[in-house]
Amino acid sequence: MTDTLIEVENLEVAFEIGRKGLFSGKRRQLRAVDGVSFDIRRGETVGLVGESGSGKTTVGRAILRAIEPTGGRVLYHGAAGDLDLTHADRAELSKVRGKLQMVFREGGLDLASLGGTALRAFRPRMSLVFQDPYSSLNPRMTVRDIIAEPLVAAGLMRDRAEIDARVRDIAARCKLNLEHLRRFPHAFSGGQRQRICIARALVARPDFVVCDESVSALDVSIQAEIINLLKDLQDEMGVSFLFIAHDLSVVAQISHRVAVMYVGKFVEYAPTRELFFRPRHPYTHALLSAVPLADPDAVFAPDRLEGEIPNPADAPPGCRFHTRCPFATDRCSAEEPRWREIAPGHHVACHHAETFDFGRAEAPADLHIPEPAQ
Amino acid sequence: MGRLLEVENLTVSFRTDEGLITPVQGVSFGVDAGRTLGIVGESGSGKSVSTKAVMRLLPVSARIGDQSCIAFTDRDGARIDVHALRPGARALRRLRGGEIGMIFQEPMASFSPVYTIGNQIMETIRLHKGLRGAAARDLAVEMLTKVGISNPAARVDQYPHELSGGMRQRAMIALALSAGPRLLIADEPTTALDVTIQAQVLDLMAGLQRDLGMAMIFITHDLGVIAQVADEVAVMYLGTIVEQGPVRQLLKTPAHPYTQGLIAAIPRLDRIDNRLTPVPGEIPSPSARPSGCPFRSRCAQAILGVCDRTPPPLTRLGGGQSVRCHLHDRARAVA
Repeated sequence: MTDTLIEVENLEVAFEIGRKGLFSGKRRQLRAVDGVSFDIRRGETVGLVGESGSGKTTVGRAILRAIEPTGGRVLYHGAAGDLDLTHADRAELSKVRGKLQMVFREGGLDLASLGGTALRAFRPRMSLVFQDPYSSLNPRMTVRDIIAEPLVAAGLMRDRAEIDARVRDIAARCKLNLEHLRRFPHAFSGGQRQRICIARALVARPDFVVCDESVSALDVSIQAEIINLLKDLQDEMGVSFLFIAHDLSVVAQISHRVAVMYVGKFVEYAPTRELFFRPRHPYTHALLSAVPLADPDAVFAPDRLEGEIPNPADAPPGCRFHTRCPFATDRCSAEEPRWREIAPGHHVACHHAETFDFGRAEAPADLHIPEPAQ
Repeated sequence: MGRLLEVENLTVSFRTDEGLITPVQGVSFGVDAGRTLGIVGESGSGKSVSTKAVMRLLPVSARIGDQSCIAFTDRDGARIDVHALRPGARALRRLRGGEIGMIFQEPMASFSPVYTIGNQIMETIRLHKGLRGAAARDLAVEMLTKVGISNPAARVDQYPHELSGGMRQRAMIALALSAGPRLLIADEPTTALDVTIQAQVLDLMAGLQRDLGMAMIFITHDLGVIAQVADEVAVMYLGTIVEQGPVRQLLKTPAHPYTQGLIAAIPRLDRIDNRLTPVPGEIPSPSARPSGCPFRSRCAQAILGVCDRTPPPLTRLGGGQSVRCHLHDRARAVA
């Protein structure tokens, strides 16, 4: 059994957005995800950051077939053998049911509406943790029934006592009060509801959970607790997370490796510490420099980026960042940069990555960089 | 001459189906010309309600307490008692938009979708500056230029949905500033924006404030933003200001356990891999505010028999910092 759990190769998701001309048969395409490759190891958290419209949510959903990918493949190295998720049929998917879970963002999205038959079959192994814990819980179900739903829907367990035991176990791990299992979701605060969502995502003991903006709607004092909880649950259960968020500071705390997305493509993928302290892509650096620190002594000098994020339906040629990049050259607008490994485990797509070392020169003098835990 | 805005002992209550709730209880703050007051707080802390009270923008079910005083010094130097103004009074209409501008978190919700951007900016200009026709339009275009909108002469005729999020927030700022207000209240103006756009908007606001010399009240939950924009900070928790002071001092030496907890809880880019320190417990709902100190149900240092009995008095710590906490109450320490 390899260390790699999910392998994403050249993943593509395109949407058709109307015709090019009135009489033209050609349709305009919006490539929300345009050739993304990366892997996720067992027990690892991969952070995925990017601004709105970068396609990060689409990547998470396409891996789990909540959106049908239009190209590339996703390999899932499960305990029962390898499976190509992008080409698997319903019967094959049903075998891995419960192993892949998602924790989603928008509340209104019902699991059942996620996709056709194929998805329905294996959704219990996928978990979704929604951003808004208020609208993603059915107000007419008790907390116990909400948490048990993935088990029941997939028919993984039928015996009521067995289901109860499993629900109580996961609820306790998520530090929910077991007395509350008979209550309805309206009685709970935001932090508690998010715990319920996490318990529901983990009840079927998945291998892989996509967390899409799962802590964004929470207040900071509560958010820290949920981040710690996710870390603890990962240590206990060995689950892998794809943690999608726009908040870089949150991603930095929870992820082992982080990928940065810009207009449908990855621009950089590296171990967390590498990425945050030695970014090699100008866009990564611009993102980091734009985060205001809660330290009155920290210098706040965001990179000046021209203009706004391009529309993915009308992505610039060459490097997609060249229209806003302060370092862009003629080559950048003509030739698309290759996705390459610039240092062990550090991937980047920039023609000039070697000449950029945004590293510690700019870091504050008292920058605290703890050594990696062994 | 007093401060531009002086709010004393503001209490706001709402009649609801569950009875009377009081989301803001005895809050005092103020701001001087050219300065920025940051108000930080989590959801339900009453930060938006207290600033809306300043503009008298609260719903009819709201009641501002009799002991409350909201005083604003207008451009003629006259002191206006905002609380005493009749709803719909001419002075109140002059105040809103004219003397005090406001921008909100979601510009899409504050612009009318059926009028062009220019139309809505010109309405403000017409009402508060008395300009009409081409003159109003020219000023609208000038405002759009000032906030860094490219091709303003064309943008002025576009509808809000035709602009991107960052552009819309810029247009909102242009609208709020078009009447030349002396105080700008910004309620989470950058929360819905991406970080690179947020940085642009913060930079823009700081520049405009410098040029126009206006005062600003900046409401946010993001301590990072506060550290960059504010001169003074007020930290709110469950309807009271628990701590207040100059931004540097407050972030360096927070005195209230809640402020300390909040600063420890935020994930930081310069402190990776440290386990986060959450503030224990949940924020109580405003209808179930704990007796005595509102924070005592989550405070590790709460003193039994003190914090649950009496609301902590205001203690001045020097350097302009003040705190409401029994741990700092010298009178109690002596007794």
